[in-house]
Amino acid sequence: MSMTATRMLARDWRGGELGVLVMALVLAVGVVSGISAFTSRLQSALVQESHRFLAADTVVSSGRPLPEEWLQQAEEDGLQQAVTLSFPSMVYAGEDNMYLASIKAVSDAYPLRGELTFGMQPFGEVVPAMTGPRRDEVWLDSRLFSLLDVAVGEQVTIGEKEFLIVAVARTEPDQGSSFYGFGPRVLMHYDDIPATGVVQPGSRVEYRQLYAGSEAAVQAFSQWLQPQLQDGQKAVNIDEGQPSIGNALDRAESFLLLAGSLAVVLAGVAVALAARRFSERHHDYVAIIKSLGATSATVDRLYGSSLLLLGLIATVMGCALGFAIQAIFFELFAEQLPVQPGSSGIRPYAIGAVTSLTCLFCFAWPPLRRLGQASPLRVLRRDLPLEGSRAINDYALGLLALALLMWWYSQDWRLTLAVLAGLAVTAGLGLGLALTLLKGGRFVGMSAGSIWRLALAGLQRRGMANALQVVIFSMAIMMLLVLVLVRTSLIDEWQTQLPADSPNHFMLNIGPEDVPAIEQLLGEEGVPREAFYPMIRGRIMSVNSEELVSTEDIEEQRRQRETNLTWSAGLPQDNTLIAGQWWPADSDQALVSLEESFAERLGIKVGDSVGFLVGSQPLEAEVTSIRALDWQSMRPNFYLVFPPKLLASYPSTFMTSFHLETEDKAFLNRFIRLFPTVTVIEMDVVIEQVRSIISQVSAAINLVLVVILAAGALVLIAGVQASVDARMHESALLRALGAPRRLILGSLLIEFATLGLFAGFLATVAAELSVYILQTYIMDMRYAPTLWIWPVGILSGALIIGSLGVFSCRKVVSVSPVTVLREL
Amino acid sequence: MIKCENLQKRVPMAGTELEILKGITLEIKSGESVAIIGASGSGKSTLLALLAGLDEASGGSVTINGTDLGALDEDGRARFRGQHIGFVFQSFQLLPSLTALENVMLPLELQGQSNVEKQAEHYLQRVELGARTGHYPLQLSGGEQQRVALARAFASRPAILFADEPTGNLDTRTGEHIIDLVFELNREEGTTLVLVTHDAALAGRCGRRFRLDCGALVKE
Repeated sequence: MSMTATRMLARDWRGGELGVLVMALVLAVGVVSGISAFTSRLQSALVQESHRFLAADTVVSSGRPLPEEWLQQAEEDGLQQAVTLSFPSMVYAGEDNMYLASIKAVSDAYPLRGELTFGMQPFGEVVPAMTGPRRDEVWLDSRLFSLLDVAVGEQVTIGEKEFLIVAVARTEPDQGSSFYGFGPRVLMHYDDIPATGVVQPGSRVEYRQLYAGSEAAVQAFSQWLQPQLQDGQKAVNIDEGQPSIGNALDRAESFLLLAGSLAVVLAGVAVALAARRFSERHHDYVAIIKSLGATSATVDRLYGSSLLLLGLIATVMGCALGFAIQAIFFELFAEQLPVQPGSSGIRPYAIGAVTSLTCLFCFAWPPLRRLGQASPLRVLRRDLPLEGSRAINDYALGLLALALLMWWYSQDWRLTLAVLAGLAVTAGLGLGLALTLLKGGRFVGMSAGSIWRLALAGLQRRGMANALQVVIFSMAIMMLLVLVLVRTSLIDEWQTQLPADSPNHFMLNIGPEDVPAIEQLLGEEGVPREAFYPMIRGRIMSVNSEELVSTEDIEEQRRQRETNLTWSAGLPQDNTLIAGQWWPADSDQALVSLEESFAERLGIKVGDSVGFLVGSQPLEAEVTSIRALDWQSMRPNFYLVFPPKLLASYPSTFMTSFHLETEDKAFLNRFIRLFPTVTVIEMDVVIEQVRSIISQVSAAINLVLVVILAAGALVLIAGVQASVDARMHESALLRALGAPRRLILGSLLIEFATLGLFAGFLATVAAELSVYILQTYIMDMRYAPTLWIWPVGILSGALIIGSLGVFSCRKVVSVSPVTVLREL
Repeated sequence: MIKCENLQKRVPMAGTELEILKGITLEIKSGESVAIIGASGSGKSTLLALLAGLDEASGGSVTINGTDLGALDEDGRARFRGQHIGFVFQSFQLLPSLTALENVMLPLELQGQSNVEKQAEHYLQRVELGARTGHYPLQLSGGEQQRVALARAFASRPAILFADEPTGNLDTRTGEHIIDLVFELNREEGTTLVLVTHDAALAGRCGRRFRLDCGALVKE
């Protein structure tokens, strides 16, 4: 056959028939590949950013020296490496001054990721450093200058070696959050360790090897390394390193995958609607060519090859669009996303291409395939019904294809099922409700004016088609509302998690006699603080009279361990009781409340008895409750809490946390001089880092939302377009009969706005339901109903659909009815 | 030769069956021109659809040059139409997205012929539209559209031309011009012409006439 698909496509294109279908396909591929490329590049950028908290891409740590061969292997694999060693040791200044400091010795290359900063004045200006301390030099924590009464340029001694103080140590990318029991920081060079003579076998030390390099090289090295790890050697990744970042990334990833999955659904629906309209408009076309001798196979071949060609063109255009979308995003929001985005690879475009082909063959092909069955008799009788009886099978096929696509895209069957369940509920309930409401509308319309009568009669006449349209509109609106709601609560939760005035400094080792004075000083300075919590060092010795092993090996879960105990009359703020009961405020019984993960590690339940050694005195207490607590709250948190009366007689120190603005930090110098024994830990830089990542993730989420809104708008437009022909035909006839412009536009507005109103209502109900399921079961968030979404969802449905409908049919009042009727 | 025996068409309607054609028997010889006439609703178009293989009969048979159309499925009938039959419709039935030339080329392309452009141009010149080959149907008047349809019908050199009210949508003068063309081309190509009309003058120009009344043939 010489009439090739190319020529037929070109002819259809010239005739303007293919526009909507092509646009739907191009947008489908563009949105899916664009979001996918955007999120994968963003994820790689965020992972890169979060590696700053490790100071490397991957880290191995151990209490014993790590094999040198690993560093050699990393060198051969093309990875950068660095080593660190952390340990507590006394630092001496002159004859009289000494203090237990937390020493960290680092090699030249440290840090491999993130920034090391220093200053020249305690608590003064922070400057990024190119390298750490050189040999024979140390950097000291701000506090140590007061505690040791030294200044930059003077000497301190560690073990058997003297060092020159050259700078104030301010921040390290991997300073982390486990600071209990550690003194102020001293940074020194790794190669100076032997000269100090302080690290002996059995010393309490942490060796670390840090590696960084290309993603592939790091992954290959990690795979090589994993089987080599012995007991006590541990590879650390970002999720374990910084729970708050890990959580934020997990949820952001869930959100982006949800958004992408919804983009797939929206794209599929848009293509299905466009193809259906294309097919309906082509029935007459096919009837003519069949009357001229074309067989069903010829028609199938024609449309099949056209569709394939169209798919290829649209895929290429869509991938180009997707590439442009993500590039424009990164370009436009370069300032909001200061991290350098990595490469997205080929996968997003492969996803785009598969989405395109799936959309074509599961959504566009079924209505086009039916064209082959079109009766040639339509050339004589245009009123013959269209072939549409197998539409249900098409939808079932499409739904299956969508489910598989979403699953492939998100790699998360729970997410896929949640979205599908939401859609199924919307469709089922929606269809029934829409039909009922539309019938009721007609009843009311009987007694209304002519515009209303016309509009409501139109609604009811096409009852089934309208109900279907309401379902499609409501699905699109529902998906958009779900995204808006999830986005809003996600970002709100992040903001409340770390509010601007959350504590960013901790104060430890406060003697009971200093508490009133510090309380007064902080009050005078107007520094907001949390309560003072007593802290008593204690050691867990036994569980249910069974002695625990005595070892420092952290791999051994059920071992004796030293930890901080506190007391409290009431359940501490932000803690949630998950088992057992809290004691009466004045209880003097031997009771204890445990933190969830702590209890789990030791295999302790409510009702068990736990033996402690506090100072030199044994203490046996019964576990009465297990608590969950928010480790990201930046408030003092404790694994073990006792009734106040029980511990009151033991010697204790106190701790608190407080918020200090950067410009007020000079206060700390004064404070340390007044209370030299109190340990102040600065968390403000870490908190800023967490906040910066969260704000980047939030910006990304907002961007993705905008793209999905565009995809949703396309579905709405395609949905309105699908019914425009019939409405245009009727309106043109009315116009020919002399109906004024106001009557026609008014009745069209009412008709479409009513559909939009129903759709908005259904969408809001379904969105609330879906958000509940998503937040409760998938994103691990707390659900609260959103009141404002009701008026917004319902009214925006009516407004958007109403205006789109009138806009699409505006031609009917601006050109002559004959022209409209001839073109239909 | 077209031979039709006891041809019936019934359609289900509101729980009963509506009999549109009540056993039509007729014969049309090669090269003949015949008119099927009758009032609106008498079954003329239904008879034409069955004779041309556009629809399936409920009973009886249609045989064209020895081929029983009832024995063919829809695809078989489509191939048969492509090889033997041409159409001219009241509403022209041109494809709006194709130019005049492409509309005429279409049946030739469907037959898998080569050099279709030249042939199509020849027939467009024959209907005096040689200068309008690149125009789309919407850019042509009704008469011009019907001339394109005529060129398309004759371009595939059909043995039989079925014309359904070919002047129904045209004014008298244009209609006469079209009919003149139909008869001229019919003579030149030696085609059998089956024309459905309720225009007595037009029917008068045909060699024979069959009158339908309520689905049955009545004597002319």
